[in-house]
Amino acid sequence: MVELFIVFIKIGFTSFGGLSMVPLIMEEMQSHQWMSVEDLTNLIAIAEMTPGPLGINCATFAGMKTAGILGSIVAVFGVLTPAFTLTLLAAIFFSKFRESSLMKKILFIVKPICVAMILVTIFGLVRQNYFDGRGLNLISCGIGIFMFYLLVRRKWSIPRVIGLSAFIGILFFEILKS
Amino acid sequence: MIKNREEESKMKKINVKKGIEIFYFFFKIGCFTFGGGWSILAQIEQEFVEKREWITREELMDLTAVGRSLPGIMITNISMLFGYAVNGWLGGICAVIGIACPAIIILSVVTIFYDLLKENAYCYAALKGIGCAVIPIIAKAVMSLGKDALKTKLGWGICIVSLLVLFFFNIGNVVLICVGVIAAIIWWIGEKLW
Repeated sequence: MVELFIVFIKIGFTSFGGLSMVPLIMEEMQSHQWMSVEDLTNLIAIAEMTPGPLGINCATFAGMKTAGILGSIVAVFGVLTPAFTLTLLAAIFFSKFRESSLMKKILFIVKPICVAMILVTIFGLVRQNYFDGRGLNLISCGIGIFMFYLLVRRKWSIPRVIGLSAFIGILFFEILKS
Repeated sequence: MIKNREEESKMKKINVKKGIEIFYFFFKIGCFTFGGGWSILAQIEQEFVEKREWITREELMDLTAVGRSLPGIMITNISMLFGYAVNGWLGGICAVIGIACPAIIILSVVTIFYDLLKENAYCYAALKGIGCAVIPIIAKAVMSLGKDALKTKLGWGICIVSLLVLFFFNIGNVVLICVGVIAAIIWWIGEKLW
């Protein structure tokens, strides 16, 4: 439990916005063997499908999977520690903080690192989801490319994309299989 | 002097009530907002800038800029800054807890169902389909992050170097971010001393 809390404090302080949390959660969950890659893929889908901030959703799910309801609360508080400490300080010294050149420099360096981290995560997920025992799974790839088209070109919202891909998944992987 | 004190006590009275209001509003946002930070921000703007006029649009923009640059979850950082700006530390804590509660409740329920349903063949197939869609979702997110992060050649360089490091050395993400932050601090100190 204490370990879970520390892990999520670590994740909280080293993540900068949105999905940059995903590689961090992935790394920690795998190194502690708390979750499988499959669970982690589903975690992203579930966190995107349900309301509320992604980071809190991820923390709840991960905490719940490892140590039940208490675990989820511990994980969320871990992930919220930056908000309760650093951000509170920033709020108190707001005017000084606003034009901090240090913060700008940190972001300048950290953001490209986040891009690299997420790319590595994508690489791992591609291996997990688009390949099976025999090699590249064409149906999965097709779904992926089609969804990318809908997201980027047609500007579909994420819950819609997830709903459609669930439907296609049932159609191709269960009904047409037999 | 007396007037001052009166105002002060008035402020204190409003504090708790305001805190509850803030908690309630952020709890509501937490329940019904899909699609992350920006849509939440739009709702804050609608409610507190346009309707209640607790804060100006410029102030909210400033808060957002700072909230984005801090580590952690962007929207809870902004909630904290906003709550603090309108109602001190109580407001900040109310806003953060308010936005976190619905997510904890909903996700706890979902996780219980997830474990029950994962073995079901149809659910398994649906999850397999969703798994294929997760990658484009992340890819899109990294594209928009990349637009911001890779504006300069130096940004590209840092990204490529970290990619190589992540692929070929057994270095964790946390370590890499820490190295990045330390490098930025050294750069900052160096510039100050120059």
